Amino acid sequence: MDKNDEKMEILEPVVRSFSMNHPCSRRQFVKVGGISIIGISALGPVLARGATKPLIIVEQAQGIVVADPVKCVGCGRCELACTEFIDGKASPTLSRIKVDRNLNFGPKGVFALRQGQGNWGNGLVIQDLCKQCSHPVPCADACPKDAIVVAPPGNARMVDPDKCNGCKICLKACPWEMISFDPDSNKATKCFLCNGNPKCVEACPAESLSYVPWRDLRNKAPHRITTTAVIPPGKAAACQECHLPGAQKIVGQGIPKFLGGVKAGNPFSLREFGFKWIDRVGTALLSIAVLFVAVHAALRAVVKR
Amino acid sequence: MKRIYLHPLPLRVWHWVNALMVILLIITGIELRVPGIAALPANSTALLVHKYAGWAMVISCVFWFVYSLISGNLQRYYVIRKRDLQGIFGQAKFYLFSMFRGEENPFPPSPEEKFNPLQKLAYGTIMCIFTGVLVVTGLLFSDIFFFRKYILLLNVMRVLDAIHVVGAYVFVLYLVVHIYMSTLGSGASSHIKAMILGYEEELDESEMIVGYEQVLGEPGTTTAAVLPEKAAAFQACHTEHEGANIDG
Repeated sequence: MDKNDEKMEILEPVVRSFSMNHPCSRRQFVKVGGISIIGISALGPVLARGATKPLIIVEQAQGIVVADPVKCVGCGRCELACTEFIDGKASPTLSRIKVDRNLNFGPKGVFALRQGQGNWGNGLVIQDLCKQCSHPVPCADACPKDAIVVAPPGNARMVDPDKCNGCKICLKACPWEMISFDPDSNKATKCFLCNGNPKCVEACPAESLSYVPWRDLRNKAPHRITTTAVIPPGKAAACQECHLPGAQKIVGQGIPKFLGGVKAGNPFSLREFGFKWIDRVGTALLSIAVLFVAVHAALRAVVKR
Repeated sequence: MKRIYLHPLPLRVWHWVNALMVILLIITGIELRVPGIAALPANSTALLVHKYAGWAMVISCVFWFVYSLISGNLQRYYVIRKRDLQGIFGQAKFYLFSMFRGEENPFPPSPEEKFNPLQKLAYGTIMCIFTGVLVVTGLLFSDIFFFRKYILLLNVMRVLDAIHVVGAYVFVLYLVVHIYMSTLGSGASSHIKAMILGYEEELDESEMIVGYEQVLGEPGTTTAAVLPEKAAAFQACHTEHEGANIDG
Protein backbone atom coordinates (compact mmCIF):
# COMPACT_ATOMS: atom_id res chain seq x y z
CA MET A 1 0.00 0.00 0.00
CA ASP A 2 1.20 3.45 -0.78
CA LYS A 3 2.30 5.54 2.17
CA ASN A 4 -0.12 8.25 1.16
CA ASP A 5 -3.01 5.82 1.09
CA GLU A 6 -2.11 4.66 4.57
CA LYS A 7 -2.30 8.24 5.79
CA MET A 8 -5.66 8.66 4.11
CA GLU A 9 -6.98 5.57 5.82
CA ILE A 10 -6.14 7.00 9.22
CA LEU A 11 -7.56 10.39 8.38
CA GLU A 12 -10.74 9.06 6.78
CA PRO A 13 -12.86 8.95 10.00
CA VAL A 14 -11.63 12.41 11.03
CA VAL A 15 -12.53 13.80 7.62
CA ARG A 16 -15.92 12.15 7.76
CA SER A 17 -16.54 13.55 11.24
CA PHE A 18 -15.91 17.03 9.87
CA SER A 19 -18.39 16.13 7.10
CA MET A 20 -15.92 16.81 4.32
CA ASN A 21 -16.69 14.66 1.31
CA HIS A 22 -13.44 15.31 -0.49
CA PRO A 23 -10.14 13.80 0.66
CA CYS A 24 -7.98 15.74 3.02
CA SER A 25 -5.11 17.82 1.71
CA ARG A 26 -1.92 18.51 3.64
CA ARG A 27 -3.09 22.07 4.29
CA GLN A 28 -6.38 20.85 5.73
CA PHE A 29 -4.59 18.31 7.88
CA VAL A 30 -2.39 21.03 9.35
CA LYS A 31 -5.41 23.26 9.82
CA VAL A 32 -7.57 20.72 11.58
CA GLY A 33 -4.67 19.39 13.63
CA GLY A 34 -3.63 22.85 14.68
CA ILE A 35 -7.13 23.82 15.71
CA SER A 36 -7.46 20.61 17.71
CA ILE A 37 -4.18 21.21 19.51
CA ILE A 38 -5.17 24.78 20.35
CA GLY A 39 -8.57 23.60 21.53
CA ILE A 40 -7.20 20.86 23.73
CA SER A 41 -4.55 23.12 25.23
CA ALA A 42 -7.20 25.75 25.92
CA LEU A 43 -9.24 23.12 27.71
CA GLY A 44 -6.41 22.51 30.19
CA PRO A 45 -6.64 25.73 32.23
CA VAL A 46 -10.44 25.59 32.10
CA LEU A 47 -10.49 22.14 33.66
CA ALA A 48 -7.78 23.09 36.14
CA ARG A 49 -9.68 26.16 37.19
CA GLY A 50 -12.86 24.20 37.74
CA ALA A 51 -11.00 21.75 39.92
CA THR A 52 -9.57 24.27 42.35
CA LYS A 53 -12.53 26.63 42.53
CA PRO A 54 -14.33 26.64 45.88
CA LEU A 55 -18.09 26.18 45.90
CA ILE A 56 -20.03 29.37 45.35
CA ILE A 57 -23.79 28.96 44.90
CA VAL A 58 -25.21 31.01 42.07
CA GLU A 59 -28.21 28.88 41.14
CA GLN A 60 -31.48 30.26 42.38
CA ALA A 61 -33.83 28.02 44.33
CA GLN A 62 -36.95 26.92 42.50
CA GLY A 63 -39.36 26.87 45.41
CA ILE A 64 -39.90 28.14 48.91
CA VAL A 65 -42.26 27.36 51.76
CA VAL A 66 -44.28 30.38 52.85
CA ALA A 67 -46.60 30.62 55.83
CA ASP A 68 -49.80 32.56 56.41
CA PRO A 69 -49.81 33.53 60.10
CA VAL A 70 -53.53 34.31 60.00
CA LYS A 71 -54.46 30.71 59.22
CA CYS A 72 -51.90 29.11 61.51
CA VAL A 73 -53.31 27.54 64.65
CA GLY A 74 -49.94 26.84 66.21
CA CYS A 75 -50.42 23.07 66.49
CA GLY A 76 -46.76 22.33 65.71
CA ARG A 77 -47.47 19.39 63.42
CA CYS A 78 -45.14 20.86 60.81
CA GLU A 79 -42.28 20.73 63.28
CA LEU A 80 -43.05 17.11 64.10
CA ALA A 81 -43.40 16.15 60.45
CA CYS A 82 -40.10 17.86 59.67
CA THR A 83 -38.03 16.12 62.34
CA GLU A 84 -39.73 12.76 61.94
CA PHE A 85 -39.16 12.69 58.21
CA ILE A 86 -35.57 13.87 58.28
CA ASP A 87 -34.22 12.79 61.64
CA GLY A 88 -36.58 9.96 62.56
CA LYS A 89 -37.35 11.47 65.95
CA ALA A 90 -39.69 14.05 67.40
CA SER A 91 -37.47 16.96 68.34
CA PRO A 92 -38.97 20.40 67.77
CA THR A 93 -35.71 22.20 68.60
CA LEU A 94 -34.22 20.54 65.54
CA SER A 95 -37.07 21.54 63.29
CA ARG A 96 -36.22 23.57 60.21
CA ILE A 97 -39.53 25.36 60.48
CA LYS A 98 -39.80 27.22 63.75
CA VAL A 99 -43.30 28.02 64.97
CA ASP A 100 -43.58 30.21 68.00
CA ARG A 101 -46.05 32.42 69.79
CA ASN A 102 -44.58 35.88 70.15
CA LEU A 103 -45.43 36.69 73.71
CA ASN A 104 -42.18 38.52 74.34
CA PHE A 105 -41.08 40.65 71.49
CA GLY A 106 -40.69 44.14 72.97
CA PRO A 107 -40.70 47.43 71.13
CA LYS A 108 -38.95 46.09 68.03
CA GLY A 109 -41.95 44.23 66.71
CA VAL A 110 -42.79 40.70 65.78
CA PHE A 111 -39.53 39.79 64.12
CA ALA A 112 -37.39 40.67 67.13
CA LEU A 113 -38.70 37.49 68.68
CA ARG A 114 -35.64 36.26 70.53
CA GLN A 115 -33.98 39.63 70.93
CA GLY A 116 -36.94 41.71 72.02
CA GLN A 117 -36.49 43.46 75.31
CA GLY A 118 -40.11 44.13 76.23
CA ASN A 119 -42.53 41.90 78.07
CA TRP A 120 -45.58 41.69 75.90
CA GLY A 121 -46.22 40.58 72.39
CA ASN A 122 -49.42 40.45 70.43
CA GLY A 123 -49.68 36.72 71.01
CA LEU A 124 -49.84 35.83 67.34
CA VAL A 125 -48.22 32.64 66.14
CA ILE A 126 -45.33 33.31 63.79
CA GLN A 127 -43.52 30.92 61.48
CA ASP A 128 -39.84 31.13 60.68
CA LEU A 129 -38.66 29.53 57.49
CA CYS A 130 -35.51 29.40 55.43
CA LYS A 131 -35.56 32.13 52.75
CA GLN A 132 -33.50 29.98 50.34
CA CYS A 133 -31.33 33.04 49.69
CA SER A 134 -30.17 33.73 46.17
CA HIS A 135 -26.51 34.48 45.47
CA PRO A 136 -24.67 35.35 47.71
CA VAL A 137 -25.92 32.67 50.10
CA PRO A 138 -24.69 33.71 53.58
CA CYS A 139 -24.55 30.25 55.17
CA ALA A 140 -22.95 28.58 52.13
CA ASP A 141 -20.39 31.34 51.73
CA ALA A 142 -19.42 31.12 55.38
CA CYS A 143 -19.03 27.34 55.40
CA PRO A 144 -15.33 26.46 55.40
CA LYS A 145 -16.02 22.88 54.31
CA ASP A 146 -18.28 23.69 51.32
CA ALA A 147 -20.87 21.54 53.12
CA ILE A 148 -23.86 23.65 52.12
CA VAL A 149 -24.68 22.60 48.60
CA VAL A 150 -27.46 22.94 46.07
CA ALA A 151 -29.94 20.05 46.29
CA PRO A 152 -30.78 19.03 42.72
CA PRO A 153 -34.57 18.96 42.22
CA GLY A 154 -35.52 22.37 43.62
CA ASN A 155 -32.06 23.90 43.96
CA ALA A 156 -32.64 24.20 47.69
CA ARG A 157 -29.63 24.94 49.87
CA MET A 158 -28.87 21.80 51.83
CA VAL A 159 -26.32 20.74 54.41
CA ASP A 160 -24.33 17.77 53.19
CA PRO A 161 -23.92 15.73 56.41
CA ASP A 162 -20.85 13.96 55.05
CA LYS A 163 -18.96 17.24 54.69
CA CYS A 164 -20.31 19.06 57.76
CA ASN A 165 -17.90 19.02 60.69
CA GLY A 166 -20.14 20.78 63.18
CA CYS A 167 -18.21 24.06 63.41
CA LYS A 168 -21.44 26.10 63.78
CA ILE A 169 -20.14 28.98 61.63
CA CYS A 170 -23.26 28.77 59.47
CA LEU A 171 -25.43 29.31 62.57
CA LYS A 172 -23.78 32.70 63.00
CA ALA A 173 -23.87 33.49 59.29
CA CYS A 174 -27.64 33.17 58.78
CA PRO A 175 -29.27 36.54 59.49
CA TRP A 176 -32.52 34.81 60.52
CA GLU A 177 -31.14 32.00 62.72
CA MET A 178 -32.58 29.41 60.37
CA ILE A 179 -29.88 26.78 60.75
CA SER A 180 -30.59 24.08 63.32
CA PHE A 181 -27.92 22.10 65.07
CA ASP A 182 -28.18 18.49 66.11
CA PRO A 183 -25.94 17.91 69.14
CA ASP A 184 -26.39 14.13 68.88
CA SER A 185 -24.86 13.79 65.44
CA ASN A 186 -22.85 17.05 65.79
CA LYS A 187 -24.08 18.31 62.44
CA ALA A 188 -25.85 21.43 61.30
CA THR A 189 -29.04 21.03 59.36
CA LYS A 190 -31.36 23.31 57.47
CA CYS A 191 -34.50 23.31 55.33
CA PHE A 192 -33.88 21.65 51.98
CA LEU A 193 -37.58 21.61 50.97
CA CYS A 194 -37.65 17.80 51.41
CA ASN A 195 -36.36 17.38 47.85
CA GLY A 196 -39.27 19.31 46.38
CA ASN A 197 -42.02 17.75 48.49
CA PRO A 198 -42.10 19.57 51.83
CA LYS A 199 -43.48 17.42 54.61
CA CYS A 200 -44.47 20.42 56.73
CA VAL A 201 -46.82 21.60 53.99
CA GLU A 202 -48.37 18.15 53.83
CA ALA A 203 -48.76 18.01 57.60
CA CYS A 204 -50.36 21.43 58.03
CA PRO A 205 -54.06 20.99 58.91
CA ALA A 206 -54.92 24.67 58.56
CA GLU A 207 -53.50 25.21 55.06
CA SER A 208 -51.27 27.87 56.48
CA LEU A 209 -48.14 26.56 54.77
CA SER A 210 -47.75 26.43 51.05
CA TYR A 211 -44.95 25.48 48.72
CA VAL A 212 -44.68 28.16 46.04
CA PRO A 213 -42.23 29.20 43.34
CA TRP A 214 -39.24 30.98 44.83
CA ARG A 215 -39.62 34.63 45.63
CA ASP A 216 -37.23 36.95 47.35
CA LEU A 217 -38.41 37.31 50.94
CA ARG A 218 -35.11 38.50 52.34
CA ASN A 219 -36.23 42.11 52.52
CA LYS A 220 -39.60 41.22 54.03
CA ALA A 221 -38.14 39.85 57.25
CA PRO A 222 -35.64 42.08 59.07
CA HIS A 223 -32.39 40.53 60.20
CA ARG A 224 -32.67 38.93 63.58
CA ILE A 225 -29.00 38.74 64.43
CA THR A 226 -25.95 40.68 63.37
CA THR A 227 -24.16 38.25 61.15
CA THR A 228 -20.49 37.64 61.43
CA ALA A 229 -19.26 37.83 57.88
CA VAL A 230 -16.58 35.20 58.10
CA ILE A 231 -15.76 34.18 54.56
CA PRO A 232 -12.87 31.76 54.12
CA PRO A 233 -9.99 33.34 52.14
CA GLY A 234 -10.31 30.83 49.31
CA LYS A 235 -13.93 31.80 48.78
CA ALA A 236 -13.21 35.51 49.05
CA ALA A 237 -10.63 35.03 46.31
CA ALA A 238 -13.23 33.20 44.23
CA CYS A 239 -15.65 36.14 44.70
CA GLN A 240 -12.88 38.41 43.44
CA GLU A 241 -12.09 36.12 40.55
CA CYS A 242 -15.66 36.28 39.34
CA HIS A 243 -16.45 39.92 40.07
CA LEU A 244 -12.98 41.29 39.31
CA PRO A 245 -10.75 38.70 37.61
CA GLY A 246 -7.10 39.61 37.65
CA ALA A 247 -7.47 41.80 40.70
CA GLN A 248 -6.57 39.19 43.26
CA LYS A 249 -4.04 36.45 43.55
CA ILE A 250 -5.40 33.02 44.28
CA VAL A 251 -3.26 30.38 45.82
CA GLY A 252 -2.68 27.48 43.49
CA GLN A 253 -1.38 23.96 43.94
CA GLY A 254 2.18 22.72 43.86
CA ILE A 255 4.86 25.10 42.61
CA PRO A 256 2.54 28.14 42.23
CA LYS A 257 1.51 27.68 45.85
CA PHE A 258 5.17 27.55 46.85
CA LEU A 259 5.80 30.76 44.93
CA GLY A 260 2.93 32.50 46.68
CA GLY A 261 0.03 31.97 44.34
CA VAL A 262 -0.85 32.55 40.71
CA LYS A 263 -2.64 35.48 39.20
CA ALA A 264 -6.26 34.77 38.39
CA GLY A 265 -6.84 35.54 34.76
CA ASN A 266 -4.65 37.24 32.20
CA PRO A 267 -4.16 40.89 33.16
CA PHE A 268 -3.72 41.94 29.53
CA SER A 269 -6.78 40.20 28.18
CA LEU A 270 -9.70 42.39 27.12
CA ARG A 271 -12.13 39.74 28.31
CA GLU A 272 -11.01 39.98 31.90
CA PHE A 273 -12.52 42.42 34.32
CA GLY A 274 -9.22 43.28 35.97
CA PHE A 275 -7.79 45.23 33.04
CA LYS A 276 -4.55 45.67 34.93
CA TRP A 277 -2.98 47.14 31.83
CA ILE A 278 -5.32 50.11 32.08
CA ASP A 279 -4.02 50.81 35.57
CA ARG A 280 -0.44 50.40 34.41
CA VAL A 281 -0.80 52.70 31.41
CA GLY A 282 -2.89 55.13 33.46
CA THR A 283 -0.43 55.45 36.32
CA ALA A 284 2.46 55.77 33.85
CA LEU A 285 0.70 58.59 31.97
CA LEU A 286 -0.25 60.27 35.24
CA SER A 287 3.35 60.21 36.46
CA ILE A 288 4.49 61.65 33.14
CA ALA A 289 1.89 64.42 33.42
CA VAL A 290 2.90 65.27 36.99
CA LEU A 291 6.59 65.27 35.98
CA PHE A 292 5.86 67.48 32.99
CA VAL A 293 3.92 69.92 35.14
CA ALA A 294 6.72 70.01 37.70
CA VAL A 295 9.35 70.67 35.02
CA HIS A 296 7.17 73.37 33.49
CA ALA A 297 6.69 75.05 36.87
CA ALA A 298 10.39 74.85 37.64
CA LEU A 299 11.32 76.31 34.26
CA ARG A 300 8.84 79.11 34.76
CA ALA A 301 10.29 79.96 38.14
CA VAL A 302 13.89 79.84 36.92
CA VAL A 303 13.58 81.54 33.55
CA LYS A 304 11.45 84.42 34.76
CA ARG A 305 14.26 85.76 36.94
CA MET B 1 -4.82 96.10 35.92
CA LYS B 2 -8.03 95.86 34.04
CA ARG B 3 -10.89 93.63 35.04
CA ILE B 4 -13.04 91.67 32.58
CA TYR B 5 -16.25 89.95 33.62
CA LEU B 6 -15.72 86.45 32.22
CA HIS B 7 -17.68 83.91 34.22
CA PRO B 8 -21.40 84.38 35.01
CA LEU B 9 -22.64 83.33 38.44
CA PRO B 10 -24.44 80.07 37.47
CA LEU B 11 -21.34 78.76 35.76
CA ARG B 12 -19.16 79.68 38.74
CA VAL B 13 -21.46 77.87 41.15
CA TRP B 14 -21.66 74.91 38.79
CA HIS B 15 -17.89 74.80 38.45
CA TRP B 16 -17.25 74.55 42.19
CA VAL B 17 -20.08 72.13 42.91
CA ASN B 18 -18.87 70.00 40.04
CA ALA B 19 -15.31 70.23 41.35
CA LEU B 20 -16.42 68.97 44.76
CA MET B 21 -18.29 66.08 43.15
CA VAL B 22 -15.34 65.18 40.94
CA ILE B 23 -12.96 65.17 43.90
CA LEU B 24 -15.34 62.98 45.92
CA LEU B 25 -15.78 60.65 42.97
CA ILE B 26 -12.05 60.35 42.33
CA ILE B 27 -11.22 59.65 45.98
CA THR B 28 -13.97 57.05 46.40
CA GLY B 29 -13.25 55.69 42.93
CA ILE B 30 -9.67 54.96 43.92
CA GLU B 31 -11.00 53.38 47.10
CA LEU B 32 -13.24 51.11 45.03
CA ARG B 33 -10.63 50.39 42.40
CA VAL B 34 -7.59 49.53 44.46
CA PRO B 35 -8.91 46.67 46.65
CA GLY B 36 -11.53 45.72 44.07
CA ILE B 37 -15.23 46.41 44.32
CA ALA B 38 -16.06 42.81 45.27
CA ALA B 39 -13.88 43.09 48.37
CA LEU B 40 -16.03 45.85 49.85
CA PRO B 41 -19.32 45.32 51.64
CA ALA B 42 -22.39 46.60 49.80
CA ASN B 43 -23.00 49.33 52.38
CA SER B 44 -19.43 50.63 52.63
CA THR B 45 -19.07 54.41 52.80
CA ALA B 46 -16.93 54.59 49.69
CA LEU B 47 -19.55 52.79 47.62
CA LEU B 48 -22.44 54.90 48.90
CA VAL B 49 -20.56 58.18 48.46
CA HIS B 50 -19.53 57.16 44.95
CA LYS B 51 -23.14 56.32 44.12
CA TYR B 52 -24.70 59.52 45.44
CA ALA B 53 -21.91 61.78 44.17
CA GLY B 54 -22.40 60.00 40.85
CA TRP B 55 -26.07 60.95 40.84
CA ALA B 56 -25.10 64.54 41.67
CA MET B 57 -22.67 64.37 38.77
CA VAL B 58 -25.47 63.27 36.44
CA ILE B 59 -27.54 66.28 37.49
CA SER B 60 -24.53 68.55 37.19
CA CYS B 61 -23.73 67.24 33.74
CA VAL B 62 -27.31 67.68 32.51
CA PHE B 63 -27.39 71.19 33.99
CA TRP B 64 -24.20 72.11 32.15
CA PHE B 65 -25.51 70.86 28.84
CA VAL B 66 -28.87 72.57 29.18
CA TYR B 67 -27.34 75.81 30.44
CA SER B 68 -24.70 75.87 27.72
CA LEU B 69 -27.25 75.19 25.00
CA ILE B 70 -29.77 77.76 26.21
CA SER B 71 -27.25 80.49 26.93
CA GLY B 72 -25.50 79.78 23.63
CA ASN B 73 -22.16 79.09 25.33
CA LEU B 74 -21.83 75.77 23.58
CA GLN B 75 -22.12 77.32 20.15
CA ARG B 76 -20.13 80.44 21.00
CA TYR B 77 -17.24 79.06 23.02
CA TYR B 78 -16.90 75.40 22.20
CA VAL B 79 -17.32 75.05 18.45
CA ILE B 80 -13.89 74.79 16.87
CA ARG B 81 -13.57 76.99 13.81
CA LYS B 82 -10.98 77.28 11.09
CA ARG B 83 -9.31 80.16 12.90
CA ASP B 84 -8.88 77.98 15.99
CA LEU B 85 -7.25 75.19 14.01
CA GLN B 86 -4.67 77.67 12.79
CA GLY B 87 -4.16 79.02 16.31
CA ILE B 88 -3.58 75.66 18.01
CA PHE B 89 0.14 75.49 17.21
CA GLY B 90 0.77 79.08 18.22
CA GLN B 91 -0.98 78.45 21.52
CA ALA B 92 0.95 75.23 22.14
CA LYS B 93 4.18 77.02 21.29
CA PHE B 94 3.28 79.71 23.79
CA TYR B 95 2.71 77.24 26.60
CA LEU B 96 5.80 75.18 25.80
CA PHE B 97 8.37 77.84 24.90
CA SER B 98 7.42 81.51 24.59
CA MET B 99 5.89 81.63 28.05
CA PHE B 100 9.32 81.31 29.66
CA ARG B 101 10.61 84.29 27.70
CA GLY B 102 7.85 86.41 29.19
CA GLU B 103 5.94 86.86 25.97
CA GLU B 104 2.27 87.61 26.15
CA ASN B 105 -0.47 85.09 25.57
CA PRO B 106 -1.40 85.13 21.86
CA PHE B 107 -5.01 84.71 22.91
CA PRO B 108 -6.13 86.98 25.72
CA PRO B 109 -9.57 85.89 26.94
CA SER B 110 -12.51 88.20 26.39
CA PRO B 111 -16.23 87.81 27.04
CA GLU B 112 -16.74 87.22 23.31
CA GLU B 113 -14.12 84.50 23.00
CA LYS B 114 -13.41 83.06 26.41
CA PHE B 115 -11.26 80.10 25.45
CA ASN B 116 -8.13 79.78 23.39
CA PRO B 117 -8.08 76.98 20.79
CA LEU B 118 -6.38 74.51 23.13
CA GLN B 119 -8.88 75.26 25.88
CA LYS B 120 -11.74 74.77 23.45
CA LEU B 121 -10.33 71.41 22.47
CA ALA B 122 -9.68 70.28 26.05
CA TYR B 123 -12.91 71.49 27.63
CA GLY B 124 -15.02 70.36 24.69
CA THR B 125 -13.54 66.86 24.75
CA ILE B 126 -13.75 66.52 28.51
CA MET B 127 -17.31 67.77 28.82
CA CYS B 128 -18.87 66.32 25.69
CA ILE B 129 -17.01 63.00 25.44
CA PHE B 130 -15.37 61.89 28.68
CA THR B 131 -17.87 63.21 31.23
CA GLY B 132 -20.65 61.91 28.99
CA VAL B 133 -19.08 58.47 28.77
CA LEU B 134 -18.43 58.35 32.52
CA VAL B 135 -21.97 59.42 33.33
CA VAL B 136 -23.57 57.00 30.89
CA THR B 137 -21.51 53.99 31.97
CA GLY B 138 -22.06 54.96 35.62
CA LEU B 139 -25.79 55.07 35.03
CA LEU B 140 -25.67 51.64 33.42
CA PHE B 141 -23.88 50.30 36.51
CA SER B 142 -26.55 51.63 38.84
CA ASP B 143 -28.98 48.95 37.72
CA ILE B 144 -31.99 51.19 37.32
CA PHE B 145 -33.23 50.89 33.81
CA PHE B 146 -34.33 48.07 31.62
CA PHE B 147 -30.72 47.97 30.40
CA ARG B 148 -29.92 45.35 33.01
CA LYS B 149 -31.06 42.38 30.97
CA TYR B 150 -29.26 43.60 27.86
CA ILE B 151 -26.04 44.08 29.82
CA LEU B 152 -26.36 40.55 31.16
CA LEU B 153 -27.34 39.21 27.75
CA LEU B 154 -24.42 40.82 25.92
CA ASN B 155 -22.10 40.25 28.91
CA VAL B 156 -20.59 43.73 28.49
CA MET B 157 -20.26 44.56 32.18
CA ARG B 158 -16.50 44.15 32.06
CA VAL B 159 -16.16 46.24 28.94
CA LEU B 160 -18.30 48.98 30.50
CA ASP B 161 -16.11 48.88 33.58
CA ALA B 162 -12.99 49.21 31.44
CA ILE B 163 -14.49 52.20 29.62
CA HIS B 164 -15.43 53.79 32.95
CA VAL B 165 -11.90 53.33 34.29
CA VAL B 166 -10.22 54.61 31.12
CA GLY B 167 -12.50 57.66 31.21
CA ALA B 168 -11.63 58.22 34.86
CA TYR B 169 -7.90 58.08 34.11
CA VAL B 170 -8.29 60.62 31.30
CA PHE B 171 -10.30 62.80 33.67
CA VAL B 172 -7.61 62.67 36.35
CA LEU B 173 -4.93 63.42 33.75
CA TYR B 174 -6.95 66.39 32.59
CA LEU B 175 -7.44 67.51 36.18
CA VAL B 176 -3.69 67.57 36.88
CA VAL B 177 -3.08 69.79 33.88
CA HIS B 178 -6.19 71.89 34.58
CA ILE B 179 -5.17 72.67 38.15
CA TYR B 180 -1.62 73.47 37.12
CA MET B 181 -2.71 75.73 34.30
CA SER B 182 -5.06 77.61 36.58
CA THR B 183 -1.90 79.13 38.06
CA LEU B 184 -0.69 80.44 34.71
CA GLY B 185 -2.69 83.67 34.79
CA SER B 186 -1.31 87.16 35.15
CA GLY B 187 -0.80 86.29 38.81
CA ALA B 188 -0.57 82.79 40.25
CA SER B 189 -4.10 82.94 41.67
CA SER B 190 -5.79 85.28 39.21
CA HIS B 191 -7.58 82.53 37.25
CA ILE B 192 -8.82 80.95 40.48
CA LYS B 193 -10.02 84.33 41.74
CA ALA B 194 -11.75 84.84 38.42
CA MET B 195 -13.55 81.53 38.82
CA ILE B 196 -14.76 82.63 42.28
CA LEU B 197 -15.50 86.32 41.69
CA GLY B 198 -16.16 86.29 37.96
CA TYR B 199 -13.66 88.99 37.08
CA GLU B 200 -10.47 88.09 35.30
CA GLU B 201 -7.58 90.40 36.04
CA GLU B 202 -5.42 91.10 33.05
CA LEU B 203 -2.32 93.15 32.56
CA ASP B 204 -2.77 96.48 30.84
CA GLU B 205 -0.71 97.07 27.78
CA SER B 206 1.45 99.40 29.86
CA GLU B 207 2.28 96.55 32.21
CA MET B 208 3.19 94.02 29.60
CA ILE B 209 6.83 93.17 29.30
CA VAL B 210 7.72 94.08 25.77
CA GLY B 211 11.02 93.11 24.21
CA TYR B 212 13.48 95.97 23.88
CA GLU B 213 14.33 95.17 20.30
CA GLN B 214 10.69 95.43 19.46
CA VAL B 215 10.42 98.87 21.03
CA LEU B 216 13.43 100.24 19.28
CA GLY B 217 13.10 98.35 16.04
CA GLU B 218 9.78 99.79 15.01
CA PRO B 219 9.28 102.99 16.89
CA GLY B 220 6.41 104.15 14.77
CA THR B 221 4.13 101.22 15.54
CA THR B 222 4.99 99.73 18.90
CA THR B 223 6.01 102.73 20.94
CA ALA B 224 2.49 103.97 20.54
CA ALA B 225 1.46 101.43 23.15
CA VAL B 226 4.14 102.58 25.61
CA LEU B 227 3.35 105.43 27.94
CA PRO B 228 5.21 108.59 26.95
CA GLU B 229 7.27 108.86 30.15
CA LYS B 230 8.28 105.20 29.90
CA ALA B 231 9.20 105.61 26.27
CA ALA B 232 11.32 108.53 27.30
CA ALA B 233 12.95 106.38 29.96
CA PHE B 234 13.75 103.69 27.41
CA GLN B 235 15.10 106.28 25.07
CA ALA B 236 17.23 107.86 27.73
CA CYS B 237 18.64 104.52 28.78
CA HIS B 238 19.47 103.39 25.30
CA THR B 239 20.95 106.59 24.01
CA GLU B 240 23.18 106.66 27.08
CA HIS B 241 24.43 103.18 26.32
CA GLU B 242 24.98 103.98 22.69
CA GLY B 243 26.93 107.04 23.72
CA ALA B 244 29.08 104.94 25.97
CA ASN B 245 29.75 102.49 23.19
CA ILE B 246 30.85 105.19 20.83
CA ASP B 247 33.08 106.69 23.45
CA GLY B 248 34.65 103.33 24.25
